Amino acid sequence: MAKAVRFLLALAAALLVVWSFIDVGARVVRSWRADRRAVTLTILHWGTPEENAIVQRLVDRFEQAHPDIRIEDIHANNYDPKLKTMFAAGTPPDLFYMPSDSLPEFASMNLLMNLSPLIEQEQAAGQAQWLSDFYPMLLDVFRYDGRAVGRGSLYGLPKDFTTMVMYVNLDLFERAGVPVPYEGWTWQEYEAAMRRITALSDPTDRTGPIYGGVIQTYPQMLRQLIWSWGGEFFGGDGADFRDVRLGDPHAQAALDLIYRTRFIDRNVYNITGVGKDPGEMFETGKIGCIGPLGRWVVPRYRSIRSFRWDIVPVPHREGLESPSAIATVAWSISRQTKHPREAYELLKFLCGPEGQVMSTKLGLAIPSLKSVAESDAFLSPGETPANNRLFLDLIPRMRVAQNPPGQQFNRILDEELAQSLRLGLVDNKTAAQRVAGRWLAELDSPLRQREFPRLSWPRVGQISGAVVLVVVMLAAWRLSRQKLGRLGRKEERIGWLFISPWIIGFAALTLGPMVVSLVLAFTQWTAMTPLEEARFVGLANFRHLFREDPTFVQSLKVTVYYVVLAVPLGQAAALAIAMLMAQKVRGIAVFRTVYFIPSIITGVVLATLWLSMFNSDYGLLNYVLRPICELFGARPPDWFGRDGQIWAVPALVIMSLWGVGGGMIIYLAALKGVPASLYEAARMDGAGRWRQFLNVTLPMISPLVFFNLVMGIIGSFQVFTQAYVMTSGGPGNATLFYVLNLYRQAFEFHHMGYASAMAWVLFVILVALTALVVRSSRRWVYYEGLKA
Amino acid sequence: MTQVQTPTRAPARATAAAGAAPLLRRRRLAGRDPSPLQQLIVYALLCAGAVGMIVPFIWMVSNSLKTDAEARLVPPTLLPTQPLWSNYPEALQMMGFGRALANTVVITFCCVVGQVISSSLVGFGFARFRFRGREAMFLLMLSTMMLPGQVTMIPVFILFRSLGWIDTFWPLIVPAWVASPFFAFMFRQFFAQVPEELIEAARIDGASNWSIYWRMMLPLSSPVIAIVAIYTFMGTWNDFMGPLIYLNSPDHYTLALALNSFNGQYGVQHVNLLMAASVVTALPCIVLFFAAQKYFVESVAMTGMKG
Repeated sequence: MAKAVRFLLALAAALLVVWSFIDVGARVVRSWRADRRAVTLTILHWGTPEENAIVQRLVDRFEQAHPDIRIEDIHANNYDPKLKTMFAAGTPPDLFYMPSDSLPEFASMNLLMNLSPLIEQEQAAGQAQWLSDFYPMLLDVFRYDGRAVGRGSLYGLPKDFTTMVMYVNLDLFERAGVPVPYEGWTWQEYEAAMRRITALSDPTDRTGPIYGGVIQTYPQMLRQLIWSWGGEFFGGDGADFRDVRLGDPHAQAALDLIYRTRFIDRNVYNITGVGKDPGEMFETGKIGCIGPLGRWVVPRYRSIRSFRWDIVPVPHREGLESPSAIATVAWSISRQTKHPREAYELLKFLCGPEGQVMSTKLGLAIPSLKSVAESDAFLSPGETPANNRLFLDLIPRMRVAQNPPGQQFNRILDEELAQSLRLGLVDNKTAAQRVAGRWLAELDSPLRQREFPRLSWPRVGQISGAVVLVVVMLAAWRLSRQKLGRLGRKEERIGWLFISPWIIGFAALTLGPMVVSLVLAFTQWTAMTPLEEARFVGLANFRHLFREDPTFVQSLKVTVYYVVLAVPLGQAAALAIAMLMAQKVRGIAVFRTVYFIPSIITGVVLATLWLSMFNSDYGLLNYVLRPICELFGARPPDWFGRDGQIWAVPALVIMSLWGVGGGMIIYLAALKGVPASLYEAARMDGAGRWRQFLNVTLPMISPLVFFNLVMGIIGSFQVFTQAYVMTSGGPGNATLFYVLNLYRQAFEFHHMGYASAMAWVLFVILVALTALVVRSSRRWVYYEGLKA
Repeated sequence: MTQVQTPTRAPARATAAAGAAPLLRRRRLAGRDPSPLQQLIVYALLCAGAVGMIVPFIWMVSNSLKTDAEARLVPPTLLPTQPLWSNYPEALQMMGFGRALANTVVITFCCVVGQVISSSLVGFGFARFRFRGREAMFLLMLSTMMLPGQVTMIPVFILFRSLGWIDTFWPLIVPAWVASPFFAFMFRQFFAQVPEELIEAARIDGASNWSIYWRMMLPLSSPVIAIVAIYTFMGTWNDFMGPLIYLNSPDHYTLALALNSFNGQYGVQHVNLLMAASVVTALPCIVLFFAAQKYFVESVAMTGMKG
């Protein structure tokens, strides 16, 4: 029976493999035959399947109209690394999405095509009427003059945008007797409303309390909040990036309001970090008012049936008309495009009315063309939100936000303000000072201040060639001192032959790239520009790392914390379960499967799953832990929230223990391999179970323990995906793992040279640790038959 | 040649004990078959752990059968009120399942074959041949395992680009054919434990190095092969970063990449569909384990490793 099933499975697998090869082969053949049209344009964008379908339809239409142009349509939801890798490889897409806050970064690296000359040409020919249909402010957002946004050359055409509003639960407002502030409200009125809505809570309700509101505080929204108080991030109309203004009274008033409503009055729900989507919270009907948010939540909220909702303006300081922030994305053209004319045509088509009408129906944003925005396609009478018009009414109040190039300021802002606004550990004055301090230190770093000479790659080639030559000669000289017989020499040749696959791989895929990255560790290079642009900085990267970068120490601490917990626990659990499995009891096959299956689930799925498990409000884990903890008068930890400094790393360890099945299987195999006669002999000598374990089991499986220990340490030091997907380092850097920090430096801040330096420091640490384990292993690992 | 004579590996004491057969027999009974109480404890422990292991998984399957709204409900429902099987065809259609499946199978198959062959070759070389520089090379190989992948990512990318391999499967397959240090280490550990007498005997019978490797060592190492194959399978099947970087056109997408298309700009739009697609994507791995587990565990006992 079982045999038949296994035979069928094997057959199915074989058929699947054959079918796959045929399918892929057929497609390869087809692509060979496919016509090679003169012009190929690559476009890169992100989006939901529905959004991608719209782009695909537009592309098809364009190809029909221009038979000589072929368009390769790439969509990537891990957009940022994808775009940057394509730039780094020197094969950037011809057209791609450009969020407005990334513009200074890309424009200052000279990666974008300047659209202004083309438009001027068209204007001179009297053909640029289409341009006047765009909201002028949206075009300004994509102008950059090398210092500030809003003036200078145009680098993209906005595909759509949104203004910022607050979403309110009309039923809760009505029950609390609060009039819906359609005409705007002050922050005082906001606080009063929050109080009254929170008072609706019923303590006996098992689904949890009602909160007046949720305030969104990621950098873009924080800026909106500070604007509504009359403050700014920076002085000089927001564009003097050396002058951080978070300590100013208006900015402080905004921050204090958030602190007060979250931690003192507790009328505003504090979304502590991860696992809780504030948008979802609103959908449950337990939140009176959420914002500031853009239009992108509307399609989701349209499926709400349990209560009525609408949109209102963001509150403002008494006597001030609050400006509205803009979230917008443009199509930009790469400066390196080989077909600027065709790309420009496509650009105009993609941002044209046809596409905008289609995507407006999805409802995620406001069309950037006046004619479409003012039409029923957007206003969609009869549909929620009833106050849809407000999005357009805010347009005259839109203000251009200034961002220093790169994402480092936002990162520092987020990290330091999390200490006050999310965790309540420090007051806002201190947090603001720390933001300014760290940011200025960053600006003043020699890495930013000094002009370094270009690295001469031919020189590098000569030097590394010479080094390799010397090393090889030294090795050859040392080896030649060991004399071998004729047989020995033959054995040696065959030995090298057997390991040659690795040697080849090592030379091509490891050593070469390692040399390049080692060289990079002494340079400043952004990865988006050609390698020739790398500048030689000497030891400046390492100096900055050890002396001036607080995240280096923090990430090292976090990583060691994780390694110390995860490696011993993981190995002990795997071995313990394997020991239980090795017992002769019935139904062990079922258990084996049950324990192994979880280790199959990885990546995004694993993260999504465990985020919902760890959710401190409705997560399954705390649901179970709460009664147990209450027995001892405690409450279960808010894993990635307020207790994150202590509990976030253990939470990830628990998640890693779920995947213990992989290690268990290896140990199980090893345990089965321990000769039964050894146990019998031990029992004859009167050894109990514990002694048998210590004196027979452990020594016999010690090579595997050694192997798993080494791999465990290495693997745990390189933890990345979980933290990247689940917490992105938060809360307050409590899960800023070393490799996450490295990744951030490399792909968010483009400090490729700095990141290479970090990688090499990690490498040295790991080599030292492993050498320690290997050295100690001579005392406790027992091999049979290993040739010395 | 597959069934190698069982070598005597047990210490002499065990043989000496054979004289006391009746005593041994009684002892063995007491030792091998746990008492009902012990069985109960083992079961209780295993069950407790099993619940912890299986609940998140059930949660995933159950979410895949809910409506999008129910999947976001607070407090959550453990089981869907009305299983929505149509989520599955919808999810598969949305991610372009057939095409992605074929791509993934081809890549995974090539990687598994390549990894087993190349890693076992290298492991055998390190374990069973004396050559000058072996220790240094071995240490070098071990130390490359500690190299964070991010270090070499960009230079390797530049290399593959210069070979014109972007948007092909080669960058995903070729690295599997040059032996991963991890698996080569594993094979080496295994081959190092094979008693020298076995190889000597084969040599005396006139076997060449290649046939010792191909006819004796590989069959012997089937438990390691199984582990390497399964790990490579799962690693390649679920790999996200590699395909993300090297594959551009949707025609070449793998399952892991296609899965990501459920992640929209503003977070996951259809949790239920994402979960359904995840279950289907994970299914081959689970089936593989079901089918292979017997072999996986018992093969160890079959291969001359038994005492």
